[in-house]
Amino acid sequence: MASLCLESVSKRFGGIEAVAGLSLAVEPGRFTGLIGPNGAGKTTVVNLISGLMTPSGGRIRLGERDLTGEAPHQIARLGVSRTFQTVRLLREASVLDNIVVGSHRHERSSLFANSIGLPVIWRERRSFRDSARALLARFELTELAEVPAGGLSYGHQRLVEIMRALAMKPDFLLLDEPVAGMNEVEARRLGVLLRSLVKEGIGMLLIEHNMRFVMEFCETIYVVDSGRLIAEGSADAVSRDATVIRAYLGG
Amino acid sequence: MVEFVLTYRPLFDLICVYTILAFSQYAALRAGLFSLATPGFASIGGYAGAIVLKETHLGPILGALAAALCGVAAGLFLSLPLARLRGAFQSIATIGFVQIMVSLTLYAQPITGGALGFNAIPKVATTGPLVLVVIAIAALLAVINRSGIGRAFDAIRQDYTVARSLGISVSRYFRYAFALSGAIGALGGCLLAYNTYSIQPDVFGFPMLVSVIAAVILGGRSMVAGPIVGTVFLIVLPELIRPLADERLLLQGLLLIVVIIYLPQGIVDSLVHRWKLRRASTVARAEQGERAHGVPLP
Repeated sequence: MASLCLESVSKRFGGIEAVAGLSLAVEPGRFTGLIGPNGAGKTTVVNLISGLMTPSGGRIRLGERDLTGEAPHQIARLGVSRTFQTVRLLREASVLDNIVVGSHRHERSSLFANSIGLPVIWRERRSFRDSARALLARFELTELAEVPAGGLSYGHQRLVEIMRALAMKPDFLLLDEPVAGMNEVEARRLGVLLRSLVKEGIGMLLIEHNMRFVMEFCETIYVVDSGRLIAEGSADAVSRDATVIRAYLGG
Repeated sequence: MVEFVLTYRPLFDLICVYTILAFSQYAALRAGLFSLATPGFASIGGYAGAIVLKETHLGPILGALAAALCGVAAGLFLSLPLARLRGAFQSIATIGFVQIMVSLTLYAQPITGGALGFNAIPKVATTGPLVLVVIAIAALLAVINRSGIGRAFDAIRQDYTVARSLGISVSRYFRYAFALSGAIGALGGCLLAYNTYSIQPDVFGFPMLVSVIAAVILGGRSMVAGPIVGTVFLIVLPELIRPLADERLLLQGLLLIVVIIYLPQGIVDSLVHRWKLRRASTVARAEQGERAHGVPLP
């Protein structure tokens, strides 16, 4: 399967270069991490890949297909899903309904069929709800299915957001600080779950502050500082890299 | 009972017509579309329906259908520039559309009768047909809410960015919402014309805009019952407190302020939301209780 590649991508905001000539690859079935100090341009990278921002230079490819300049919803429809640093859910809707929204990419029925309620849309709805329940079971949160999402703890809301992104059945999942606000135990459980998803073939790009989490789970790690790539490799290699130690780990 | 119904029949008809107009406003807000174009659509539908009924032999049903189609066309036309705008910009542009419709119908005297209005329209929309239309639209909206379109609307309303990141084309669904709001609004305007013998340009002006938006905010923006409850409240309450009937606008304003403070999601949505939260916490507590007693969960 194709990989998601950034080829010397840059993004300038006025005079500031948030991302400068960054090249990286997210491969299917591989847990890839992107780390760096605050303001290093990590979230900008996710926004560039998902099409919310257009690169000032360079190219973003999905296999042979050029994603540069595509509309965000087109990129999502091609199978690139993401979560956000701040949780964004439909607070008054149930957890299950929040997850089902993520199935949009797999809707086959027409606007007309949906407007007048042809049987096909109820079949679709049932299958989407079944998939959402399966996700809930996998995350061991089945009992929360009918709870309004706004009433959940912050950590649980993050999980709902991840499940919604997974309801897209994406080929690539970009996670923007998924374990922020979780304790060590919750974070580890999520990590194990994400790893099992990667084993099934998803290409995962994890953006994280939590060093221990990244070092434990990511197979390839990219380290950025001021929008530039300063190191890449396995957790071991990166944590021994002198530039990384200076820029990020301190001392 | 019969006497009661007869006495309050005009009021009931009015509630039906305004519920339909509120549905038009609701269809827009439900999609996260800040359109206030409903009175403009109603104006198009009102005059189109009245003209078809009086000047042709097509009859009221085809007249109403023609009105709704004109509403769809107007909605799609508006969506060309407006589906790309967001939030307050949509509101301002659609208020402009309402003003333009008031002026157009005022100046197009040979067709619309100008300020004197379009008069002597046969009263074909009696209580029966009105109730049927309200039920039909409510059913249609309920289906749409539960369909993929409703899910897309939910996502857009909560956050444009999230919707796009899930593969939803925001402008496509805005176009749809404009067309839907246009069709319902025009149908409402047409039935207003078919019910009240006469329409004038300023019927479809700012006061109507305020009433329909107030009905939806008061009743609730997410469930279909919202606009119905809101409209009933706005029309019946001043009648119940007769001495205050003259201060209808004042009362509406006060009611809105109170509801926005205490039930910010509207009467229906707030109550349902509270009920769901309570049920969820009862379930959770029951499960915790079972766990504490060592009983395995089903």
